[in-house]
Amino acid sequence: MARANASRFRFNPPGWFLLLPAVLFLIAFFVLPLVDDGLRSIRADDGSLTLARYVAILSDRFYLGVIVETVALSSAVTVICVLIGYPVAYHLVRRAGCWSALIVFLLIAPLLTSIIMRTFGWQVLFARRGLINTLLVQDLGLLEQPLRILNTPGLAIAALVHVLVPFMVLSIAAVLQGIDQRLEEGAQVLGASRWRTFVEITLPLSLDGIGTGAILVFMIANGSFVTLALLGGGFQTLPLFIFQQFNTTRDFGMASTMSTVLLVIAMACLYLQLRLVRRQGI
Amino acid sequence: MSASTALRLDRVRKDYGSTTAVQELNLEVAAGTLVALLGPSGCGKTTTLRMVAGFETPTSGRVLIGDQDVTPLPPNRRNLGMVFQNYSLFPHRTVAENIAFGLRMAGRSRAEQEVAVTRMLDLVRLEGRGDMYPRQLSGGQQQRVALARSLVLNPRVLLLDEPLGALDKALRESMQFEIRETQQRLGITTLLVTHDQEEAMTMSDQIAVMNGGRVLQLGAPTEIYDRPKTRFVAEFLGTSNIFTGRAESTGREIIADGMVITLPETVPVGSEVCLSIRPERVRIGPEADGLANRIQGHLSGAVFRGAYAAYHLDIGPDRRQLFAYQQSHGPHGTLRYGAGVDCWLGWATEDSVIVTVD
Repeated sequence: MARANASRFRFNPPGWFLLLPAVLFLIAFFVLPLVDDGLRSIRADDGSLTLARYVAILSDRFYLGVIVETVALSSAVTVICVLIGYPVAYHLVRRAGCWSALIVFLLIAPLLTSIIMRTFGWQVLFARRGLINTLLVQDLGLLEQPLRILNTPGLAIAALVHVLVPFMVLSIAAVLQGIDQRLEEGAQVLGASRWRTFVEITLPLSLDGIGTGAILVFMIANGSFVTLALLGGGFQTLPLFIFQQFNTTRDFGMASTMSTVLLVIAMACLYLQLRLVRRQGI
Repeated sequence: MSASTALRLDRVRKDYGSTTAVQELNLEVAAGTLVALLGPSGCGKTTTLRMVAGFETPTSGRVLIGDQDVTPLPPNRRNLGMVFQNYSLFPHRTVAENIAFGLRMAGRSRAEQEVAVTRMLDLVRLEGRGDMYPRQLSGGQQQRVALARSLVLNPRVLLLDEPLGALDKALRESMQFEIRETQQRLGITTLLVTHDQEEAMTMSDQIAVMNGGRVLQLGAPTEIYDRPKTRFVAEFLGTSNIFTGRAESTGREIIADGMVITLPETVPVGSEVCLSIRPERVRIGPEADGLANRIQGHLSGAVFRGAYAAYHLDIGPDRRQLFAYQQSHGPHGTLRYGAGVDCWLGWATEDSVIVTVD
């Protein structure tokens, strides 16, 4: 009897019901702002619809340069992250053994700190009167003048890589983990050297992980603002310009237009990368 | 070392820290024969195979292929073929590309690769499947591709690591015959690792029964089955009824579980003896008349198993259990004896084997 009663009052929602909170949240804080943003970019000051801002951005050599620089910077960061992240991921999965937990911790620990704190860390280290320069000039006396490291492109790229490389490592490691080592052994028995085995078997089978990592890193680098704003480096990227349009110029329409352009670039790259990865079709 | 020895393990030992996986193992595989390493998991059979393949380096000892000491060589320079339990076909390569892999690594021409791939596909009866991907094939077909891939380079030795473990029973049996047939036709020296005694019996010329990192007995399947040297071998291959006791008076008898049991041979008086009798050698009812070992027993269980009937008997004052198998007689589904009756049983002394306690 108790059982029957319980089932009569049991709340039995349809499957989609569980998705509702997430969907509502996304509509309120993601879809609606995006729509608003898009509308703002095509609404002229008098209220009529116009594509003038897009024409302005896409026909202006300066703005085109900014777009190219944004994509180039993100691409460079992505490539560096692959080059640094792959060996780490490989070591983590195949060699580290009982140390792998520690490596994963070391990878994830920085993510627990806010990105602003980590970026300030670079400033503390490399500022004119920062730790490194103080050490080199005052304490060791190796240099006459402090090095100018802050506000160089190299440092900005290094800081972005520093922030983003864990995403790459974890994406690649997850896929490497799933590759049966006996595939590699099978290749070796058939006469493949370690290097050939890597090129023929391990690398193609881990492209999925590289793809996922590259998409993550590229997207975040594309939209990264804090690192570039704090460490400079002379880069002129879309996020910095959007910030400028909002805060300095107060041209919301132009800022919205740039945001939309940035979004389209991101989606286009996502599509391309997905296609590249799919092409390998495993 | 005889001229026909294709693979030889010379006092090979493998330690992992303080534990010894393989201890001072000697093994010779004659050219063109198939030797099975048979044993329970953890007996060192896989480690032995991996040392032959070159994935593990022996702590001491040598691995010789033909006359060449390959111990210091990496796997890719040993010219071996290997089939893994899960086949480990390259999932991102077609069947043809999988088979051609070894040829490509060896730098053979494209034309030569194509000819060889076609020949191998024929050999394993997968004509026209070259363009498919491994995941599109059934387990048995994948298994055949793995075999073709490992044979395409005419390896000096073929290594089979539980090659049929992932297949269901019916397919496993037909593949056992198929692999054995291919192996004999090509006359390729083969080392098989398995924990399945039937597989070892079906496929091998010689079986090396392993336990605790050692080879307990090496011999032809019939020899291993009929003349086990140790209790472990007797019990691991098939089922055995084991009697242990001290040799009495003449040295032809032991007292085990309160029964006097006649031995097949004379042993020193007072020595501990372990005797093994196969269930199918135990005779029940009138068949037991006149045998040296004839005991009254109680039939506690009778099971019909298709080709034979399995009986559980309680014998002697301690009512110890004894297994007896008999060919099925009469109409299908009938047992000659039902459970719950008392009967005579016995076995010929020459059907029992004295084994050592490991």
